[in-house]
Amino acid sequence: MGQSFSGIFNRLWGVNKEIRILILGLDGAGKTTILYRLQLGTVVTTKPTIGFNVETLKYNNLTLNIWDLGGQTSIRPYWRCYYNNTAGIIFVVDSTDRERMDVACQELHTMLKEEELQESALLVFANKQDQPKAMTAAEVSKVLDLTELKDRSWSIVASSAIKGEGLTEGLDWLMDVIKDEQLQ
Amino acid sequence: MSTLSYKKLDAYSTSGDLPDKMSVFQKCLQEFNASPINAKKCRQLLAMLLRLIYNGQAFPSQESTTLFFSISKLFQHKDESLRQLVYLTTKELAATSQDILMVTASIMKDIQQGDMIYKPNAIRTLSKILDATTVSASERLLKNAIVDKNPIISSSALISSYHLLPIAKDVVKRLTNETLETIQSTKYFPPNQYQLHDYYATNNTNLPSTSFMYQYHALGLIYHLRKHDKMALMKLITSLSENNSSSLKNSLAVIQLIRYINRILADDEGMINVLYPILSSFLKHKSDMVELEACKTLIGYQHLLKDDQFMQIIGTLQKLSSVPRTATRFAAIRLINRIAFKHPEKIMVVSTELEDLIEDSNRSISTLAITTLLKTMGAGSIESSSGVDGGENVDRLIAKMTSLMDEITEDFKIVIIEAIENLALKFPSKYKRLVKFLNDLLRDDGTLELKTSIVGALFDLLKFLPDAEAKELILMNMCEFIEDCEFTELTVRILFTLGEEGPLTSKPSYYIRHIYNRLVLENAIIRSAAVVSLSKFAIQCGGEVSDNIRILLTRCLNDSDDEVRDRAALAVKFLDSKQKKLLVADTQFDLGALERKLTNYLNDEANFNVQFDISEIPIITKEELKSLEYQKKINRLDQPVHETVSDEEIGDNNNKKNKSTESGENSDSATNELLKQQEYANELSTIPEIAEYGILTKSSSTPIYLTEKENEFVVNVVKHWFIDSGKLVLQYNITNTLPRSVLEDITVIVQSDNESYVEEFVIPLDKLGPDQTGTVYVSFSIPSITEEDSDILCAFGNTVAYTNKDIVDDDGTVDSEGWSDEYQIDDLEVEAGDFITPLYNSNFTSVFDQLPNAVTSVVAVSNCRTIENAVTKLKTILNMMPLDGSDFVSSDTKNHQLRLLGKDTWGGKVASQIRLAETGGKVVAKFEVRSETSNLGTYILNGSF
Repeated sequence: MGQSFSGIFNRLWGVNKEIRILILGLDGAGKTTILYRLQLGTVVTTKPTIGFNVETLKYNNLTLNIWDLGGQTSIRPYWRCYYNNTAGIIFVVDSTDRERMDVACQELHTMLKEEELQESALLVFANKQDQPKAMTAAEVSKVLDLTELKDRSWSIVASSAIKGEGLTEGLDWLMDVIKDEQLQ
Repeated sequence: MSTLSYKKLDAYSTSGDLPDKMSVFQKCLQEFNASPINAKKCRQLLAMLLRLIYNGQAFPSQESTTLFFSISKLFQHKDESLRQLVYLTTKELAATSQDILMVTASIMKDIQQGDMIYKPNAIRTLSKILDATTVSASERLLKNAIVDKNPIISSSALISSYHLLPIAKDVVKRLTNETLETIQSTKYFPPNQYQLHDYYATNNTNLPSTSFMYQYHALGLIYHLRKHDKMALMKLITSLSENNSSSLKNSLAVIQLIRYINRILADDEGMINVLYPILSSFLKHKSDMVELEACKTLIGYQHLLKDDQFMQIIGTLQKLSSVPRTATRFAAIRLINRIAFKHPEKIMVVSTELEDLIEDSNRSISTLAITTLLKTMGAGSIESSSGVDGGENVDRLIAKMTSLMDEITEDFKIVIIEAIENLALKFPSKYKRLVKFLNDLLRDDGTLELKTSIVGALFDLLKFLPDAEAKELILMNMCEFIEDCEFTELTVRILFTLGEEGPLTSKPSYYIRHIYNRLVLENAIIRSAAVVSLSKFAIQCGGEVSDNIRILLTRCLNDSDDEVRDRAALAVKFLDSKQKKLLVADTQFDLGALERKLTNYLNDEANFNVQFDISEIPIITKEELKSLEYQKKINRLDQPVHETVSDEEIGDNNNKKNKSTESGENSDSATNELLKQQEYANELSTIPEIAEYGILTKSSSTPIYLTEKENEFVVNVVKHWFIDSGKLVLQYNITNTLPRSVLEDITVIVQSDNESYVEEFVIPLDKLGPDQTGTVYVSFSIPSITEEDSDILCAFGNTVAYTNKDIVDDDGTVDSEGWSDEYQIDDLEVEAGDFITPLYNSNFTSVFDQLPNAVTSVVAVSNCRTIENAVTKLKTILNMMPLDGSDFVSSDTKNHQLRLLGKDTWGGKVASQIRLAETGGKVVAKFEVRSETSNLGTYILNGSF
């Protein structure tokens, strides 16, 4: 009896349910670094991801299933194979890479048009803020046309994966949104 | 292959039907995409999927890709067994699905920091999904895995690297040092004794830690990296065999090492001095497999071994032939049997063991023991002249065989019959007892197959035994046999043979009576054969016999069967008109050539306007036919097992193809020689300049290599003789092995050292791309043999001249700028043997005595240490057939007589009797050559020995 009670209880709070989160973005934006910074709390040296990395981590009593998909041009077409059941998307942008902002914008909006992602929340990390000449979050938001987005909870957070700044703020926001949506 | 037939073939297939493919597919998609994942359910589904795939149910590319992506989602779960199954399935799907690169990062992560349980699976899967562009990323991973302390991880990394060789040789090459380190290292699993119980509880027999299999894998990999570098290979071999007890612990690895040694020896027999100590050290090893492999390799080079070295091999085999394990005993007796082909006298020492093996419960072993003993008896007979009781041995063995014959199946009987035939052919003096044995066997019950093989053996003996008495004995026995023979085919064959051989015997009437009995008692098919047979007697015996037979044949004109009547009428007609040639043929057409010509003719209707020209078909005399048959027979009996070391040349297809054609050439050289000649003739007649030369007299049978087979250019040459028009055409086959060069305007500059050979023209080759083979023809006019003072022997210096152009990019674009270059290749010699073909005759002495033009001389045979070597050398240089078993040399004799017979290209016979003597490591030969064609003898003697 006790077990089934706690089962119901947990389900109510979404503790036992895994929350699927995708980390997407162009190559070299810092997706893998963010993933392991979140999981291990340290900076690991990374190589371009051929394929994907997947890690499970506990965050504020929630089980997160985070998929970090490779950002190289050749791998982007396969992102869509992993859209199903996604609660939240973390889109990482290299704030110093001004030249490819339009590419990033294009990829972002194509992705958001997908049927399977209509319910997912979007968190954008304007990453690499530790670098000089990095664009600010507001600037990035403008270039990416985020204001155009309708019917979607979204937020942009300035971050630095190397220093660990901005990541928890961003994730906290994402968790809140997801929890809200699931309680509804 | 459909599932149904696959299942039938698979003896291990489990009972029960396979699950439905589509429903498994649907369930997989559903479960794998679920969240959270149910590991147990997914494992079961993966197992089901694997079972489908292993049973031959392939998924088409699109479904396979969908499956692959959903399986890739299982990487989020940490369950080890699930991960293992994920790897197994991914490995299988890698062949059919697209975009398998997507799992690369996940696999690499597992290899770096994953659990030991699934690390090996991950490594093996990695090798399947990498391609040339991504392989360099895995270099470090593989390096680390190869030197891993865990032998299983190390093994899987080594095997994966091996599989990566075709796509990324450069990357794998960089793993050489790690691989070398691994061969010599000692890895245990589990790492120490205390952990043993964790893994295997108390049941610690048959532990994987004892296998050291990674050494085998490492050795295989390192060989492929080094096989083109002989020095490095030698260094590897010596370092691994220095103290063989410690460095290589895995017996498969040792066996592999021995095989590599064998390959080195195959390339360069001179290495035997360095390699023999290594091989002989393996003759005493704790594993019998290793001992057998060492024996096998050494036996392959027995001609290079000294007697005491040889005895060591025999000692090992003797020991192995009495171990309890049947497979080992069988392997040992097979090797002993192989020695017996060449050196039956050397295994006399094991004859007691062999006799014990006759009673072995395994019939394969007992049969082999008998055939081996039969061969040793032959050797005994050579010494029997000095009073050894060879005869008693034969009797005893035959007694043993007779008792065994009742117990064994027919397949084994046939093997024994072949062995007996072989013995009788090689050592004709033993025929009497053996023929008697065969006859007894013929009288016993048996199927057609058995009887056919006995009759076949008797026929061969009939043809090739020199003794007239033997012939009559066999013929008489056959007459008795057909009195009560239930097989029509056999009776017909025997009747034919009686017709061929009977008239030449001392009392033909004996056979005539038997044949006539058939005419009265048997069915129509046999009766018509008997008619033909009788007519042959009539035409050849003449006189009273002929008249009597004519009466018999006239009676046949009233036979109830059409065919019999027709044949009888024909025979009577020919007899009356004395048309001997129509009844008894001395010559026949070359059937192989005739068949080919006819097929060509019939394949194209356009040909039908012209009459089929039978004069183009070469005619073979009976004598020539006999030589061919004899050669074929001896070849077949001498090499029952033509073992080819299967050489897995990764990514080296071209090489492989060459090899297979080569071995093909070896196996049926005698049979196909005429066909090949025909092929050359066809090829040459398409070239207008050469077509003028008329009929091709003779081509050298195997191409002679003028370069090493791994050079930049591989050149071999075939000599074509046109004796009637006095021309020689050299056909140079040139292969370009340079991957990035195109050769143009290729020609061969030939310089002869004999002024009588005058170059007439060269047909050059325009262009030769990488890995292509082309032909350059050079034509000479040759001196006539009948002229005095002319010399037909000659040596040619050869140089290949060409323009070299590099290929500049991957599309095969050729640099327009080239440079001309020359390439010196080996000299080519014209030897006496080029003018001679082997000829068989059962009575050498009479042929030899009748030939005019005798020449004698004494020469030292260079480069030969033993008489056996000298015999082989003379045989090949002169291209003549050894007769009276004179090519068999007993290893301990210092004197030998070799009798050779051949036919020269001018149509005359040539015979040589050569006395060989060995003194102090040198072989001296006294030649006595007689020939129909004058001068030829001198050239034979002038040939360089």
